[in-house]
Amino acid sequence: MNLTSKPLAVIIFVFMFGGIALTSALGWWQTESTKEPAAYTEGEFAGQANPADIRGSYTFGDVANSFNIAPEILAQAFQVTDPEPATFAVKNLETMYLDSGYEIGTNSVRLFVAFSLGLPFDTTGQEIYLPKTATEILLAQNTLAPEQIAYLESYTVDVKPATTTEGEVAPAPQAESTPAVESAPTAATSSEESEYVVKGKTIFGDLTGWGVPQTVIEQIIGAPMPNPAMTVKDYASANGLDFEAIKTQLQAEVDKVKPK
Amino acid sequence: MVNLFGKRIRLFRPRSIWVRRIVQWFFFLLIAAIAINHTLAESGAAIPILSSASLHAVCPFGGVETLYTFLSSGLLVKKVHDASLVLAGLSILLAIFFGPVFCGWVCPLGTIQEWVGKLGHKFFKKRYNHFVPTKLDNILRYARYGILIWVLYVTATSGSLVFEAYDPYFALFNFWSTEVAPTAILILGVTLLLSVFVERPWCKYACPYGAVLGVTNLFRVFSIKRVESTCKADGACSIMCPMNIPVDSVKVVRDHQCISCLECTSEAICPVASTVVFTNGSVK
Ligand code: SF4
Repeated sequence: MNLTSKPLAVIIFVFMFGGIALTSALGWWQTESTKEPAAYTEGEFAGQANPADIRGSYTFGDVANSFNIAPEILAQAFQVTDPEPATFAVKNLETMYLDSGYEIGTNSVRLFVAFSLGLPFDTTGQEIYLPKTATEILLAQNTLAPEQIAYLESYTVDVKPATTTEGEVAPAPQAESTPAVESAPTAATSSEESEYVVKGKTIFGDLTGWGVPQTVIEQIIGAPMPNPAMTVKDYASANGLDFEAIKTQLQAEVDKVKPK
Repeated sequence: MVNLFGKRIRLFRPRSIWVRRIVQWFFFLLIAAIAINHTLAESGAAIPILSSASLHAVCPFGGVETLYTFLSSGLLVKKVHDASLVLAGLSILLAIFFGPVFCGWVCPLGTIQEWVGKLGHKFFKKRYNHFVPTKLDNILRYARYGILIWVLYVTATSGSLVFEAYDPYFALFNFWSTEVAPTAILILGVTLLLSVFVERPWCKYACPYGAVLGVTNLFRVFSIKRVESTCKADGACSIMCPMNIPVDSVKVVRDHQCISCLECTSEAICPVASTVVFTNGSVK
């Protein structure tokens, strides 16, 4: 069969647009990120969201939706001062840390999320840097494997973002190339750090950040401390505990360590 | 149609495939509109009926770049979307049947090189598209496979679209944004400049996606075939071919560089009816 230009033109249109229509109907035609990372396809974590698929276009809020890590924790980890961290796009980190001399961006968030939640993440051959603030939060969880701690020792940097998220120029970008991991962990805290009041939004990271020893917290909740990004209230309801009772006990401990 | 020396000659015929020009214009404007709408969408002013997808989403090469990552982990390389995989699949399927029509009819980067090439035709007349010495040209034609292997390797090992920083297609529809690397703009500029001397220089020597689709020329269903019994060997087909393929010396065009533009056929430059044809059958 001989084919001429006009039928060929029709075939091209039918093929391209018909193919797009068909794949749209099947749900395969995605031109935008769904803001839902792909899940692990095999192994112990099959079906769970994979941090390796976090995209630069995701906001901290999107990450929080998929991984249950509070946007405030991500903001603290990556020194984001945006008043609404949930709307902060992960890709903006690259610009923020442009002058630091280290590539801190989407990959750093992936690593942070994976280490934070104990999810598998392949770092082989990759140099993924984390700011010291992020590593401190991870270390505070006391859940890292020795090889993860070793990785962080090599790739933690004491850097300050050159610009704040509101576009103001910070005094001077700093970067220390020496590893900045400290053995004594500091804690994750939410934006309520200064208040020293246990509320519905208080996370475990706030408590340790205020100085309440982890062992004391564990005694009160009667279990090992969960992810520092989790709110006490969520933990209580997920475990069938009385939040008001726990809150009172925790507040008493907070009052003991609160600066006078 | 008249009979001259026993051959059927068409007196009045289009010298080019005009319908291809229309299709090229259509896709060029469509991609340009999508790229502009994507920029407008960032400031909340997108035109509602038009897609505001990012350029990466409507580039089939992204589907090839992400293939290793997709097959090994089920994930897509950063910035690539499912649509790229769909477009890659559709254009490869189309190429298996009809050759790299994506290059010759759809790709806006090919189109803009042809437009600039018209200037070259005007300036240099017959010398146009014949500046590169044959020996060098023959070697350079395989460079795009080297580039393809490099792109696939760096994408697989880094998990990111490294080629974006060199991609003239991305620069063409994003030159106004800060997302484009200066190297990509430079490569686009050099490509357009070279187009004044050589027809489709990017496609011939550098395009990694053209390299992928070009392989289908070796086994495609519909091919350019020359009927030797009616051919008057005037060489018009070879002269017209933008990819400098010696159509007049082969029976079936299996050259990896053919872009299925049909400009060599009896529908366009070949003056003898049904002599250079686009067919899935055999010819005498
Ligand atoms: S051989 Fe014919 S169809 Fe192929 S590129 Fe050359 S002119 Fe176009």
